[in-house]
Amino acid sequence: MKTTTMTLCASVLLALAVPVQAAGDPKAGQLKTSMCAGCHGIPGWRTAYPSVYSVPKLGGQHADYIVAALKAYKEGERSHPSMKGIAGSLSEQDMEDLAAYYASSYSGPAN
Amino acid sequence: MKKYQYLLAGTALGFALSVSLPAHASGNYEAGKAKSTPCAGCHGADGVSTVPSFPKLAGQNSDYLYHALKDYKAGKRKNPIMAGQVEALSDTDMQDLATFFSKQQGLYLKY
Repeated sequence: MKTTTMTLCASVLLALAVPVQAAGDPKAGQLKTSMCAGCHGIPGWRTAYPSVYSVPKLGGQHADYIVAALKAYKEGERSHPSMKGIAGSLSEQDMEDLAAYYASSYSGPAN
Repeated sequence: MKKYQYLLAGTALGFALSVSLPAHASGNYEAGKAKSTPCAGCHGADGVSTVPSFPKLAGQNSDYLYHALKDYKAGKRKNPIMAGQVEALSDTDMQDLATFFSKQQGLYLKY
């Protein structure tokens, strides 16, 4: 009985303590960054005329937010020509993987 | 002749630097800090949000943050919470906030 209670308590605590993670895989995401890195991976890169501003940094951003942003671009709720095109070509799994990669500290296979 | 070459090299370097450095909105840091209290509720006091659906702002490019705020205000970017928040912000407020959050530690450029 005591063991059961303790196990139950431990499970509840764990469930509370572990943050909800997007189902993405950082390693899979790293392999899908070719379309992102040309802008988001270049220091000081800016968007094209007529609306010129620095593209956002993605490193360390919340995965959930990145997925939401990509979906908003895909569905046209957020407008940017290149992001609409790129997000439109991504599956939901691609989005989750890319978001997990940028949110994580994983930066690619050691060579 | 040599002097002329130095001058030319200096001009070229200056030009290269001005092109490569990211553009910063010309906001006031202290003023931005003072105005950031309402933002802290969702984005964290220093722009490091702990809620996965709210983006981190800390270290984000200031001109991107400024652009995002302007788009919310103009209704180009749609979010019910942000629409309400930006309603009372002036152009100067948005520049100040962008400057304050861009100078916090958090997001980073990831290839």
